[in-house]
Amino acid sequence: MNRSIRRLFWVLSGGFVLLACTLGYWQVIHASAIDNRPGNPQTIQRTLLVARGAILASDGSKLAVSVASNQQGQRVYQRTYPNGTFAPQTIGYANTVQGMTGLEDSQNGYLTGDYGAQSLLGSLGLRARRGANVTTTLDVAAQEIANRDLAGKQGAVIALDPRTGAVLVMASSPGFDLSQVATNFRHIIAQPGGPLLNRTVQGRYPPGSTFKVVTATAALESGLFTPMSMFDDTGSVLASGQLLHNFNNEQFGPNNLTQALTFSINTTFAKVGLALGAQRLGQTMNAFGFGRAPSVDLPAGTVFVSGRVSGNTILSNTQSGEDVARIAIGQEQLLVTPLQMALVSGGIANHGLIMNPYLVQKITDSSGSVVFTHHTSVYSRATSPQIAAEVNTMMRDVVKEGTGTAAALSGLDVAGKTGTAQTSTNGLYDAWFIGFAPAQAPTVAVAVIVENSPLTGGVVSAPIAHDVMQSILAGGR
Amino acid sequence: MSPRTRELGFLIPAALVGVLGTASVASAQSRTLGSGAFTILGVVVGLFVLMHIALRLRTPFADPYLLPIVATITALGMVTLYRINPVLAREQVLWLGVATAVFILVLACLPDHHLFEQYRYLCGLAAVGLLMVTMIFGTNISGAKLWIRLPGGQSLQPSELTKILLVLFLAGYLRDKRELLAVPTRQIAGIALPPVAVLGPVVLLVGACLGVLGLLNDFGTPLLYFGVFIAMLYIASGRGSYVVASLTFLTVGAVAIWAVIPHVQTRVDAWLHPFADAQGQGYQIVQSLYALANAGLIGPGWGQGFLIGPNGNYVVPVLDTDFIFTAYAAELGFIGAMALLCLFIVLVARGLTIAAQAPDGYSKLLAAGLATTLGIQGFVIIGGIVRVIPLTGVTLPFMSYGGSSVVTNFAIIAMLLIISHRSRVPFRPRVPRAVRAEAQRQMESMGGVTSE
Repeated sequence: MNRSIRRLFWVLSGGFVLLACTLGYWQVIHASAIDNRPGNPQTIQRTLLVARGAILASDGSKLAVSVASNQQGQRVYQRTYPNGTFAPQTIGYANTVQGMTGLEDSQNGYLTGDYGAQSLLGSLGLRARRGANVTTTLDVAAQEIANRDLAGKQGAVIALDPRTGAVLVMASSPGFDLSQVATNFRHIIAQPGGPLLNRTVQGRYPPGSTFKVVTATAALESGLFTPMSMFDDTGSVLASGQLLHNFNNEQFGPNNLTQALTFSINTTFAKVGLALGAQRLGQTMNAFGFGRAPSVDLPAGTVFVSGRVSGNTILSNTQSGEDVARIAIGQEQLLVTPLQMALVSGGIANHGLIMNPYLVQKITDSSGSVVFTHHTSVYSRATSPQIAAEVNTMMRDVVKEGTGTAAALSGLDVAGKTGTAQTSTNGLYDAWFIGFAPAQAPTVAVAVIVENSPLTGGVVSAPIAHDVMQSILAGGR
Repeated sequence: MSPRTRELGFLIPAALVGVLGTASVASAQSRTLGSGAFTILGVVVGLFVLMHIALRLRTPFADPYLLPIVATITALGMVTLYRINPVLAREQVLWLGVATAVFILVLACLPDHHLFEQYRYLCGLAAVGLLMVTMIFGTNISGAKLWIRLPGGQSLQPSELTKILLVLFLAGYLRDKRELLAVPTRQIAGIALPPVAVLGPVVLLVGACLGVLGLLNDFGTPLLYFGVFIAMLYIASGRGSYVVASLTFLTVGAVAIWAVIPHVQTRVDAWLHPFADAQGQGYQIVQSLYALANAGLIGPGWGQGFLIGPNGNYVVPVLDTDFIFTAYAAELGFIGAMALLCLFIVLVARGLTIAAQAPDGYSKLLAAGLATTLGIQGFVIIGGIVRVIPLTGVTLPFMSYGGSSVVTNFAIIAMLLIISHRSRVPFRPRVPRAVRAEAQRQMESMGGVTSE
């Protein structure tokens, strides 16, 4: 019997060794993978034990700060948001229940002092970890104006400095109050319109006529057309076996490419698209950055790609055998983010060069020394300076002569393009305006969208763009 | 050094673990080391001293290591409980008091454990009866009908007491049929099986226990019972083929239960893919894994982990019972958890050593069965937490909050110590005075050395 007892002991020991090995896997070997799982409250709590750094607007005003408090016997830092409705989706939140979003998430390493040598010293317990302060590029006055103009609507405003890529305004409506997240999250997510959605980078809309800027660029690039190339509009064009009409079934007669852009003549751009073919139009789309997405210093995966969307996949821009006529006027499964359209506008503004858009200007540690500064870099070469200048001129004509737009933008030297894309509801449109100012030497580029509007982009979105650009230019930029 | 003095010496480090642990929690939580913590500490130390004195009086030759090991595990458990819920820690001290009383009562009233050998069938029937009672009068707590509510608001978990009764039955029965079991009479699929008449009643009784528990919606306890049954069958027969046959039976049974009962299916899903439903069925295990991973190798230290949320709730559900191991390992890290696992395996080793040293088959079977019960119970719950097996709700012996569990486990320790004492007490034959005088006289007449 003692032999059996001895064997039984070895079996039981083996069982406990198995437990020890598995536990070692979870606690040591696989631990960091579990720590990094989204929504892990342990990881979030660990960050709450650190004096989390502040998030600041470009003028240094506080958007997110930490206040020390005692929780269940531990000294923890409570996150407070002095201006919680300022840019809630962009700033984001960090708490134990709802997880982390926005800059709070993407800049978590710096905000918690987990960077460089700080990380090592902190984990060895040699120095209390103190978070670094993140200064953003957000312009307080312009962002507030965007919020005010968007109030009561669903839509988004994004403004950037085309020369650097600095994001000056990133507003998405409906918004919410960051200081309500910890206590009243249920109420926030119950609101209609999806307040958590950052529409500037996650909203995907048909670009409508704003896409004609891309088509016009491709047309000039091809050498087949000039701004003065003539067309004759008979009210419709046959494309892929279906007649394609103008907005409100208008008929324009003879027109040139510049006039076609000004009056948003679908038939002309359809003809241009057919002449260019999928390959040439697709290459220009690639050059403008369609089909990929910059990070904008936001968490990985939260900036959506623009392009031709089929289900969950983005189709290649240069795919042949497609209905190029309709792609050229911004239809055919083409879905874009406001960010992408701001990049299109910014690329024309900056002589054909799209700069990498960014939100984090600099990061300073608790003693005030700078640990990170943004260095501007090129995101994409959209087109040549000459063609950019030609498209710039065409876009200025749009604002001068386009319907209703001129009045909306009075007092500013603006170049732009409106867009009015049909939605699933008849009579309601996704109203666009993209543009830049001052047109001669642009310092601000914008994209504005208002969802489900009964009015056109020139009437509803252009005034918002006007207010935001005026504020930014008045700010001395 | 006498075994009891050795035991007293080894109880000192156990007490130190308690003192340092309590101080550690208090300082980390910036709690004042008020009279509450000291009262708990003092009472627990006092209770173990009482047990020690009882052992000195009743079983002076019993194994000196068993009680100190149990005391250390209890100290770790009490500190962990004090850390996550001081109110429950105070209640647990009361239960430890009851357990001490039962421990002393067993030592005082049970001179010879062989007493149970003749009442083996009674034990078996009592086991089934207790489970039946639970089935009829039981209350449903967290999906399993395992508790009987007492008038005082407390509840009793009969399945804990049943495990002792089952071991008592199996030890008696298997000892009785041991010779018959050793000779297989037939083979099925190449696996040797004992005569049906011999194994029949055992399979029937164990099957009844398992069936009842299946109806009670608790699967950790049947797993424990079955494991103990296989272990004892193997010790009694020495035949690996019976183990294979039993495991086959267990597997088929487990698959059948899985196929029939939805509650089990969700548990198995939560076991295999906890992150697939991290907010639902997998919530407990996912939160537990988060807490374990957060601790890492060394852990943040007692009182410094994230176990209590801002609203005062446990971060991992049922942290004080099923997940007490998580509460412990989340703050003392992998190294602390290894220490605890070592304590458990040493506890099992001492129990099985007692079995090996016991002079007769019944004592061997009984001691091995009781020791295996503690070991397998620890394996089932910790294995559930680290995802070696599906998660089931059994308590971690000497650590989890709960009266039935702690009382039963201390009764098991008392019985092991009685068995140990009886096999280690030196043989001193009683020689009548006349016989002794005659021997003396003979030695003198042979010219041997005289005494005086």
